Amino acid sequence: MKHVILGATALTLLATSAVAQEVTLGRFFGDCEDAGTDTSASVGEACIIQSIINAADAEIDGLSINTLPTDWGNYYDQIVAAYAGGTPPNVHVMHRHRVPEFANIGALADLTDDLEGAGIDPSDWEPAALEAVTYNERIVGVPMDIHANLWHVNMDLMEAAGLVEDGAPILPSSPEEMLEHARMVQEATGQDYLAADFAEFPIGVRVALALIWQQGANIFEGDTATIDTEETRNAISAITQLFDAGLSNPQLNYADSQQAFLNGEAAVLVNGTWVVDFYAAEAARDDEGLNSYFVADFPTLFDEGATWADSHMWAIPSPVKANDPDTYATALQVLAFINDHNIDWARTGHMAVRTSVLESAEYAALPHREEYTGTADIARDTPPSVRYGAIQDALNRELQAIWLTGKSVDAALADAQSDVQDLLDR
Amino acid sequence: MPQHQGARLVLSQGQAAAILLLPFLTIYAVFLVYPFFKGVWISLHDWNLMAVAFNPDAKAYVGLSNYERVMWGSNITWGAWASPAFQFIGLAGVVASAWLYRTGRAGKVTALAMGGAALLLFVLPGFHPGEGGRWYDRRFWPTVGNTILFVGLAVPGVTITAMLLAAALDGETRAKAVLRTLFFLSQVLSVTVVTLIWQIMFSPRQGLIANLTQLFGGSPIVWLTAEGFAMASIVIATIWWSLGIAMILFLAGIQDISKDLYEAGALDNATGAKAFWYITLPNLKRTITLVVVLQIILHFQVFGQSHLMTNGGPNDTTQVLVRYIYQTAFRDSELGRASAMAVFLFVIMGGFSILQFVLGREKDQ
Repeated sequence: MKHVILGATALTLLATSAVAQEVTLGRFFGDCEDAGTDTSASVGEACIIQSIINAADAEIDGLSINTLPTDWGNYYDQIVAAYAGGTPPNVHVMHRHRVPEFANIGALADLTDDLEGAGIDPSDWEPAALEAVTYNERIVGVPMDIHANLWHVNMDLMEAAGLVEDGAPILPSSPEEMLEHARMVQEATGQDYLAADFAEFPIGVRVALALIWQQGANIFEGDTATIDTEETRNAISAITQLFDAGLSNPQLNYADSQQAFLNGEAAVLVNGTWVVDFYAAEAARDDEGLNSYFVADFPTLFDEGATWADSHMWAIPSPVKANDPDTYATALQVLAFINDHNIDWARTGHMAVRTSVLESAEYAALPHREEYTGTADIARDTPPSVRYGAIQDALNRELQAIWLTGKSVDAALADAQSDVQDLLDR
Repeated sequence: MPQHQGARLVLSQGQAAAILLLPFLTIYAVFLVYPFFKGVWISLHDWNLMAVAFNPDAKAYVGLSNYERVMWGSNITWGAWASPAFQFIGLAGVVASAWLYRTGRAGKVTALAMGGAALLLFVLPGFHPGEGGRWYDRRFWPTVGNTILFVGLAVPGVTITAMLLAAALDGETRAKAVLRTLFFLSQVLSVTVVTLIWQIMFSPRQGLIANLTQLFGGSPIVWLTAEGFAMASIVIATIWWSLGIAMILFLAGIQDISKDLYEAGALDNATGAKAFWYITLPNLKRTITLVVVLQIILHFQVFGQSHLMTNGGPNDTTQVLVRYIYQTAFRDSELGRASAMAVFLFVIMGGFSILQFVLGREKDQ
């Protein structure tokens, strides 16, 4: 009997020690079936990140990663609700612009003193990336990229309009010149000059913001909204002149604008770095539509260069660090693994955050990479605010009202100004 | 009958009822009554969802301030013709209910309920910001208006379509049974699936409707982002989605109508549409009331269609109350403010529930 009990105890202990430490992981980027564990072969954000996660799960001993649903639309609502309910995922992805909202109340673990121990070297991060994950001089996340708006160009349409020089597209340097280029494209090809999602996600907002920043202005400073200004009107009219002349269609949403570009119905698509590898793959296919693809920095139409930019980063909730050291240590290993695979993530088209990766030959050899090297220098965003999401929504609502419903610019800017001021006052 | 010694516990009817009801009442109290009062309690606080989760003392009692910030404004005045369309309908409603009562076409309670609702429609839209004033939250009342418009379009849409379908599909042929199942099938889908299907249907590039329009030489309508069509598109998707239950209720109602009535009608040459108008419709009155009130309560809670198909746009034309509550609570973390709006929604739906109760009782008398 004694042997039986001892044997059973030994077996139980063995079984317990073999149970892997489970880490729950929250992310957006969408779903990827069968991402596999080959981090160097996957294509597109969803599959690249999932292949990195799968590889971490397979390669790190004693670790099992449970990836939670990966829906984009309600991601932050779910994360906020999970924090409020006391059940946030052990690690989760987020944007730099959300850091104030979470770090402000101490929701994110302070990683500053634990990174080196986990094999993460913050001194290898680019200054902009380090700044993105720093709140009150403490590091609260591991940056994964800097992403920004680019001009994705159909070179065949530009060539037909005579807008190619030395193998690169000729981009406008003023709103007037943009209108002229747009007319040239339409006369030569019958297609639109510019497409973007002006009807769904805030991509139109990001275009307008870039044009506002290019004039040295912003939408708020401190606690004061500065939307109802001459600079905002200039930015808006630079965009709406294309709609009014029938050279761009404001009613396309994200999927439709992308499809228009891939079908060869627009010379330029304004979208982020996240689609470079996807569009390059589409252009390489032997079919109708986009065949000759070029990526350009967002052009400077006013005084100074600027394009909207943000960062993806990984964070660990503070309760994990405070209450569960084992899970915290394992979660840090996951972040280290993701940090080690920065080059794989950069294949999406995003800009890497590690200096060692940025300087590598492998990075320089990524498709189209040399075409948008100027973007890192003009990357911008609005000032940090705990109300970032609501402010973006307010702007998106009012700008869409201008180009989709014919609301007057004066009324829309007055409403946007008072809505954003209300948000800043709360 | 001989009694056993140590007699068994004999329960009175009331005690038995209490014991049998206890499990239900417990669940009801824990999951419905308690959260409701907690919601009212939260609405009286400045309560940040995230902050309170990390520090329970981060909330502050603010009395009715959330209600004021949401529903009121500075320098609000009342005018009899501030919102002529609504107020005229309201006034007409008051006159109509008085007339219905005087001519004996409506009972006292019905007339009072209708008159009360109409009076509210006259009084509430009369409030507006005076000189230099403004609503503290300029989006709240337009959002309420959108929700009422949605209910006003979806409820008659569902009721009429379901009733016509039920009348057409009542019968014992196999084809009708198959069609009944088909029409009911959409009801079992989740809102995500329904909105996905309709987003594709409405897509100006690949949608079925756009293809049909182009086939007949028209240019496709951009349903979801055009101001005049966005609300219509979510109403159409909703009608398609929620037809099933209403149709089943009408089918049950129709099958309850005695066949003798139709036979007698047929002798007087009332068949087809005539029979439907003079026999089916009057006998379905109670079912219609039930369906209408159930639909009103259901559709005031519309959320998914607006959230997933149009994001509340364009220009807020499809922003509805529950979506606004959701965004306020989870995007902005302002739980107190969101709860105040939720209490307002509760009052509206409570009003309609009472209306149904009143109308139902009067018929019984």
